[in-house]
Amino acid sequence: MSFHYGQGYPGGSHPPPSAPYGGASGPYGGHPSAPYGGSPHGGSPHGGSPHGGSQHGGAPRQPTAPYGGYGAPAQGGQYGQGQGVAPAGHYGGYGGQPQGGHYGQHAPAGNIPPGVGQEAFQWFHTVDTDRSGYINLKELKQALVNSNWSAFNDETCLMMINMFDKTRTGRMDIFGFSALWEFMQRWRGLFQQFDRDRSGFISGTELHQALAQMGYNLSPQFSETLVRRFTVQGGRPGIQLDRFIQVCTQLQSMTQAFREKDTGMTGHIRLNYEDFISGAITRLM
Amino acid sequence: MAYNSPYRAAPQVNAPPDQTFLWNIFQRVDKDRSGTISDSELQQALSNGTWTPFNPVTVRSIISMFDRENKGGVSFNEFAGVWKYITDWQNIFRNYDRDNSGFIDKNELKQALSGFGYRLSEQFYCTLIEKFDRQRKGQVAFDDFIQCCIVLQRLTDVFRRYDTDQDGWIQVSYEQYLSMVFNIV
Repeated sequence: MSFHYGQGYPGGSHPPPSAPYGGASGPYGGHPSAPYGGSPHGGSPHGGSPHGGSQHGGAPRQPTAPYGGYGAPAQGGQYGQGQGVAPAGHYGGYGGQPQGGHYGQHAPAGNIPPGVGQEAFQWFHTVDTDRSGYINLKELKQALVNSNWSAFNDETCLMMINMFDKTRTGRMDIFGFSALWEFMQRWRGLFQQFDRDRSGFISGTELHQALAQMGYNLSPQFSETLVRRFTVQGGRPGIQLDRFIQVCTQLQSMTQAFREKDTGMTGHIRLNYEDFISGAITRLM
Repeated sequence: MAYNSPYRAAPQVNAPPDQTFLWNIFQRVDKDRSGTISDSELQQALSNGTWTPFNPVTVRSIISMFDRENKGGVSFNEFAGVWKYITDWQNIFRNYDRDNSGFIDKNELKQALSGFGYRLSEQFYCTLIEKFDRQRKGQVAFDDFIQCCIVLQRLTDVFRRYDTDQDGWIQVSYEQYLSMVFNIV
C-alpha cells in the first residue's frame, strides 16, 4: 500500500518496530538545536534579570489575545527573594545535602569562574560525585528531589540537561550548571507560591490559577487533564515540582510554536502534516 | 491501518530468542540484581557503535514503552519485548548504514524513512538531522536514529487522529494544539 493522497504518512509496507501496546508516553524529541533551546522568549532560563520586569503581576499581558503565556521564570520580582537562599526545607531541591562546612572540602575556594555564583559553584562540586568536572544525568537525578523526597523524574532531568548542556555531550559543565541553578531557584519559588496549601502537590485548581497568573488563557479542564497526565501512577493526584517544571517549560515552548503560526492572532491555526511535525520536533526538548 | 500493525507482524523472520538466552542477558544487565532493569542499567548495556554513551532519551523512550506499571524499569517478562524491539531496529539500521560507519547520513535516513512510507521534503530531512545528530557529525547514530523514528511515529499518530478527513491538513485551536503535543511529551 502506498499513500495516495501524497501527504507523507507512512504507508506501512515496511513498518518500523513498534511498541507492544503503544502506551509510550515518553520524553522528548532529542536535543534542542541551540544549547539553551527551549525558551526563546522572555521566559528564557537566564534571559533577563530575575528581578527585572514586573511583566505579569497576575494579569495576562495581552488580555485580548486568545492565548497568553509568556511563561514564568524570568518574570521575577515576586519570587526574587529566593535568590541566594540555600534550597532546603519543605520543598527539598537538592537532596542529600551536606551539613555546613562539608562541601567546602572539595570546592576549591577562590576559583570560581566568572559569571558563576558562589552557591552554584559549591553545589556543583557536591553534585559532581565522580569529580569529572561535569554533571551527568545520574548525578543530577541523585541531587534533585521533590518535597516528599522522591527523586526527580528522568524526563525532567533530561530536559534540563538538554537545555543547559552547552557542550552537547549529555552533561553540564559548571556554566551550564550555574544557569540551571538559577532556573531551578525560580521555578521552585513559583511552585511554592502556587502550591497554596503547601502540600508539595499542585492540584488541577492550583495549576489553573498558576497558568492564568503566568498569562496563559487555558480552560480549567485543560489544567485538570495536565494534572491527570502528569500525576505519578498510583500516587497522590497532583503535580510535583519535577513535573511542574517539565509541564511549564514545554508549555512555554509550544505556545511559542503556536504563536509563530497564528499570525492573525485568532487562536486557531491551520497546519499541514510536515509543518506540524517539524514545529513540534524543533521545539520539543 | 498498516502502519499501526503490531511489530510481530513485521517482516522479520528471526526466531524469537529462547528464554535461557534472554535470562542470561537479563541477569548480566540487571547489575544490582533488583529484578528490574533501570534506565542506567540498560544504557550501560547498549552500544550505539560509536564509543559514546547510548542516548539516555532513547533509553527512556524504550523503557517507557514496555514498562507497564510505570516502575521506572523493565521486568524480565517485559525485557523480552525490549530485546526484540532493539534487535529489530538494529537490523533496520544495518540495512541502511551501507558503509557500516555506525552512522547514517541524510540520504540513508531518507531511504529508511521512505521505506517506512514517509514522504518528507528535503528541508525536513535537514531538520531531522539537525535535531537528532547529537554528535554533530551531520549524520545520525543508531541510538539517535531510533529516537528520531519514535518521535516521528508518535507525532504522525497524533496528527492522524486530528486529520479526520485525511487531507494532510488540520485546523486546531491553541488548546487542541497543546493537547496534541503534550500527548507525546
